[in-house]
Amino acid sequence: MHRKVGNLLRAGRVVLTGIVESVAVVLALASLVFLALRELPGDPARLVLGDEANAIDLALVRAQLHLDEPLLVQYARFVRGLCVLNLGDSFRRPGTAAMARVGSALVPTAQLAGLSVLMGTLIGIAAATAASGPWFLPRVRVGIERFLLGLAAAPLVAFAPAVTWLLAVRLRIAPLPGDPDAGAGGLLFASALLAAPLSAHVGRVARAALVEVGREPFLTVATAKGGPPLRVWIVHALPAVAGPIVTVVAAQLGALLGGAVVLERLFERWGLGMLILEAYSTRDLPVLEGAVVAAGLLFIAVQGLAGALHAWIDPRVRSARW
Amino acid sequence: MVTPAMSKGVDLLPLATLCAASGLGTVLSRAPPGRLDPLLAWCAPSWTRPLGCGEAGVDLLPLVSSAELRVIALAVIVALFGLAAGTPLGAAAALARGRVERTVERLCDLVQAFPSFILALAVLSAVRAPSRLHIGAVFALTAWAPFTRLALAQTRVLRDATFVEAAIALGSSPASVLVRHIAPNLIGVAAVQLGSTAGAVVVSEAALAFVGLGPQGGISLGAVLDQGVAGMLRAPHVLGVGAAAVFATSCAMLIAGQFFTSPNRKPGSA
Repeated sequence: MHRKVGNLLRAGRVVLTGIVESVAVVLALASLVFLALRELPGDPARLVLGDEANAIDLALVRAQLHLDEPLLVQYARFVRGLCVLNLGDSFRRPGTAAMARVGSALVPTAQLAGLSVLMGTLIGIAAATAASGPWFLPRVRVGIERFLLGLAAAPLVAFAPAVTWLLAVRLRIAPLPGDPDAGAGGLLFASALLAAPLSAHVGRVARAALVEVGREPFLTVATAKGGPPLRVWIVHALPAVAGPIVTVVAAQLGALLGGAVVLERLFERWGLGMLILEAYSTRDLPVLEGAVVAAGLLFIAVQGLAGALHAWIDPRVRSARW
Repeated sequence: MVTPAMSKGVDLLPLATLCAASGLGTVLSRAPPGRLDPLLAWCAPSWTRPLGCGEAGVDLLPLVSSAELRVIALAVIVALFGLAAGTPLGAAAALARGRVERTVERLCDLVQAFPSFILALAVLSAVRAPSRLHIGAVFALTAWAPFTRLALAQTRVLRDATFVEAAIALGSSPASVLVRHIAPNLIGVAAVQLGSTAGAVVVSEAALAFVGLGPQGGISLGAVLDQGVAGMLRAPHVLGVGAAAVFATSCAMLIAGQFFTSPNRKPGSA
């Protein structure tokens, strides 16, 4: 009974620490962006309106952005806005809340990133299984490993346009960038491109972990009991390497979001990346701040989810013995 | 006979070749980088223009050559900054132990995994037209983290070494232990990260320029890629040149990073 209460208290403390850390990170990031936009040399109102703006318009924008108030008051207003998720109206679309625009752009990006994570993880695990299991010749396994290493080092910004040219222009089996009728095919193609580097990272980490796990006695026992190799691999070996896989996916999420911006620009797909680029070119400051905060929140939510998923899949973490 | 020094020098060969080729390309090209000649728009490679032309007839050879040289310089400076700022922080945190050590470690985790590209977009929007200096500063915001993590891990081993214990027992101050005993054993390990950080800077700079936030004047490998995507149907050579340049530069950086790996730690060697 006491042990249960102790475990519960410990779990509570871990969750509380996680929440406090997450809030601190989002606040620190948002503050960095807030300060960069207001304190770096240059008048934000002039950034918004350009050099040709007259004094009346500049004063209006300053009032709208509350730039005429002391910095501390501006900051307090900004933090309050963060807490209630309301950073004011978009500059370019008056009457539309900045966070509402961010929310509408998050959906397609989440689709793209989610599908990429799914594809990247599955392909990575399949490649790792092929490269470390007993099914292929050693030469083939080394080949797969080298391919994964090369793919992990290939920069997405260089190979995504090149592969798109090959598949869309030469072979005509994929939709062209900016094709409005691409639909699900376009989403699938873009996700596959975004998933490629992730699958290489997952594949390399999972392969290394599977080689380690392959020497464990519990796999010998499972095989001795008569389990077919594939079943032993899926039921016993893969859950034991879930930890490193989930960790590497969570660690690659930042790169994945950056890659999503590049791919949205390449395929002219609407999403968080395009919103940020649009807000950047028109200096829509509330939308920019909102987009960074949303990216931070998304990132932290997925990190938390990754931890929970790890505990759910790996029996050693679940029983809290490790 | 190949001596270890010679085999280490080979690691720097791709980067040196790339720098020499870019330097030669800049010197030999008749037009300054970025000069437009609309009559030659999207022209294919020829003897007078070995890499062909891009949008509005910009000659790709001087453009790619000078973009390469600039991005290599930027990447090296940012990576050296990361080494100089990150290594002492990691070493000091590991020597301080306890809460400081845990906080710095957690901070590294977050900085390394955070979508820094999105952060870069937001911070760069605070300036009217980002210059290479601004872009370098934004990369430097996150470049220290991998060095700090390496220094933390290595100092954790070193802090219990007998020569460090002896120095502490003889009355050396923590700062003197850090400078005289830990730092010399740390630089070699942390320097291994230089190549990957520089490679990441090359790719990120290209990605920023590709989405339209590159340095002024459009002299960037990402701008060439952007032109390549726009002219994908009529002039695929532009895309090929841009992709090959980004790939070659980032790979050359990664291989050059191997120069700092000690021979017995090099992957593939016994």
